[in-house]
Amino acid sequence: MVKAIIAGSAGEKKLLLGNEAIARGALEAGISSATAYPGTPSTEIIEAIAEVARDYGIYVEWSTNEKVALEIGIGVSMMGLRALVAMKHVGLNVASDPLMSLGYTGVIGGLVVVSADDPNAHSSQNEQDNRIYGIHANIPVFEPSTVQEAKDLTRELFDLSEEFQMSVILRTTTRLAHSRSQVVFGEVVRPNREAVFHRDPEKWALLPPYNLAKHRDVLVKLDKLSEHLSSFRFNTVEKVDGDVAVVTSGVAYNYVKEALEELDLALSVFKLASVYPLPRKLALEALSYGKVIVVEELEPVLEWQLKVLAYEEGMKAEIHGKDLFPRVGELNKELVKAGLSRALGIRYEAPPAVMPSVELPRRPPVLCPGCGHRSTYYAVKIAAQRLRVKPVYANDIGCYTLGFYPPYQMADFTWSMGSSIGIGLGIARFSKEPVVAFIGDSTFFHAGIPALINAVYNRTPMLVIVMDNGITAMTGHQPHPGSGVGVFGEEKPAIRIEEVARAAGVKFVEVVDAYDIIAMRDAVERAIKYMREAGEPAVIVSRRPCALMVLREKRRRGESIKRYTVMKEKCINCGICVDRFACPAIVREGDGKVTIIPDLCTGCGVCATICPAKAIREVEVDE
Amino acid sequence: MSRRSVVIAGVGGQGLITIGSVLGEALMAKNYNVSVGEIHGLSQRGGSVAVFLKYGEGAVSPVVTQGEADLIVGLELIETVRRLPLLKRDGSVVVNDFLLPPPASKSIPTRGELLSNLSRVKSYVVDARELALKAGSEIAVNMVMLGAALATKILDLDIPDIENLLSKRFKGDVLRVNMEALRLGYQSIKE
Repeated sequence: MVKAIIAGSAGEKKLLLGNEAIARGALEAGISSATAYPGTPSTEIIEAIAEVARDYGIYVEWSTNEKVALEIGIGVSMMGLRALVAMKHVGLNVASDPLMSLGYTGVIGGLVVVSADDPNAHSSQNEQDNRIYGIHANIPVFEPSTVQEAKDLTRELFDLSEEFQMSVILRTTTRLAHSRSQVVFGEVVRPNREAVFHRDPEKWALLPPYNLAKHRDVLVKLDKLSEHLSSFRFNTVEKVDGDVAVVTSGVAYNYVKEALEELDLALSVFKLASVYPLPRKLALEALSYGKVIVVEELEPVLEWQLKVLAYEEGMKAEIHGKDLFPRVGELNKELVKAGLSRALGIRYEAPPAVMPSVELPRRPPVLCPGCGHRSTYYAVKIAAQRLRVKPVYANDIGCYTLGFYPPYQMADFTWSMGSSIGIGLGIARFSKEPVVAFIGDSTFFHAGIPALINAVYNRTPMLVIVMDNGITAMTGHQPHPGSGVGVFGEEKPAIRIEEVARAAGVKFVEVVDAYDIIAMRDAVERAIKYMREAGEPAVIVSRRPCALMVLREKRRRGESIKRYTVMKEKCINCGICVDRFACPAIVREGDGKVTIIPDLCTGCGVCATICPAKAIREVEVDE
Repeated sequence: MSRRSVVIAGVGGQGLITIGSVLGEALMAKNYNVSVGEIHGLSQRGGSVAVFLKYGEGAVSPVVTQGEADLIVGLELIETVRRLPLLKRDGSVVVNDFLLPPPASKSIPTRGELLSNLSRVKSYVVDARELALKAGSEIAVNMVMLGAALATKILDLDIPDIENLLSKRFKGDVLRVNMEALRLGYQSIKE
């Protein structure tokens, strides 16, 4: 049995992912609860805690959505216990409603909200900078620069949160969350506090007589915190002679260090782990230099604050930031070298590079071989052709978003969790063509249900196809309320999507095997006819467990895997399997004939059913 | 030596992250500062993946930039050529002789075109699948490539450093296959 990655005693050294380091830090802080909804790049935090949760008596769960995850954390804090809540940056939007009031109420038990931001939007719909959420919500924001610091800072933020009775946001970015570096462990604290509800209605009730007083209180607290943070050990200054200071935070600090080494420059570096509020004394010290260069990813959060402070204090420092560094996308050492050189008037040339002399095809991510979403899309397309309709395809957030790409192109829009139904409602009000919304099972539970209820209540005709693969597949197979298992794989009640839809008042609800293209096609035809005649929404649950998950299970159990092969002599080279069905395991060879790559085939057999020449057949393989 | 940088390039699902973390752990055991940067998420679905490994003394950021890599370990030909601009002029490439065309793409460069691009730098071509099968499983392709990477001697690591780690991670048949794949990969460059 492999030992849990974040287990180990003080002094032990391990190569940890940034997210695992945060998990370890929370363990060392003695948390009682850890809740989250999965989302790249935040997912591994809860996965790592789950590995040790039962040993340390920590409550851990995958929540229905980020709002619920945060609300649980707030409740745990009211019990005087420490709670960690984790989510990706856009997840904080979902949790923003309770967050904004949490800034006013503050906390009892330490509450750390991790926001894993995604500069460059590697796997996200935008690159919002959640440091600004802290300013908006009156909640302090901290940002670690290294993996070691991610652990240490997490641990210490729980103390700080309790000392100031404020929740805090720990903001990371993809390059930290998904970097591995060495981490030296500290002492683990077991959560052994007595859980007592801190009954204090005036503190917790956000009602008219108290709200403004709370707003005033938190502003005073933030001022106090700002003073305190000037001696916070994670805010550091590396001083050298000269009149130029670099102010930086987060992962950008590493780019600054490398850039200075390579440019052979010595500048004073102010590394701020607390980005809101600014540590006032330290910030004034930085502003006492003649030239201040702010190096930060995305929005000019430090730069704005420094400029305001300089104006207020009548300081004359020349402040640079986004005039030198991009506001879009990630930073790296080369961008920082170029920006610093410009600020200092040094000539700079990018290092020479070997450029490819052939044009390389893009490689967008694709639906896996054997994925039930592919056959669902295929069948829906055929149904639309047979009905001679051109549906508006509303799509949502998950693996199935990949239906955007050719050859399917079945995502006329994709927005945020649950928006396929919500935005689809607005379109359906006015569209002559039917609206077909695709939504995954986890997304349905996360944010789809209220919009579906709206469709029923307001009698909006719309077809909702819930693509149910039983798991939150996109982020690496975390369970959800429909999975029938919990965070440890233990048995849980499975909430059936079709029963939820019926209970919400949807009268047309059908469940279809996602691999059964004919059944799916017919169900879609019936559903579209129904919604046109009845003027009401219809729901089809297209069900097949995630192919990746099934394959891993089979490998683990040592079961044989069925695979398919093309009988070349029968193949009429029509291209349906490779160009229209587009399974990545099926490719065209040099002679133009198609072939199935055996290592990629998962044996779903759908290609055999759609082949008009019946040229694809099964072969048995032992693993 | 102040820093060394490695880029591991390929397609989601090829085991790149494992190569990165095994190398990272082995280097950490030698008391270097190590940073292994990964981008995954969407890329798990057959997308293009790059893992950046840096180690040395002093600051090590999680991104390898243009002209910085001492070594590219490529598990697929197109993805390896895609990352060529990251390679130092005198850097090396070890590449798996495997071409996986992206589904539904119109213009696919030929194997010959890709290999001739790689021949402009110091490069070693490995038939990793064949060696992995010889070791006992096609899944061990990444271990073959890891062995080949070691044989370039660009990293301060040798076979025993990795063997130590593998024997902590795996047991029985899986361990035996991985060890054999590692050795076969190593020998393929040595010869």
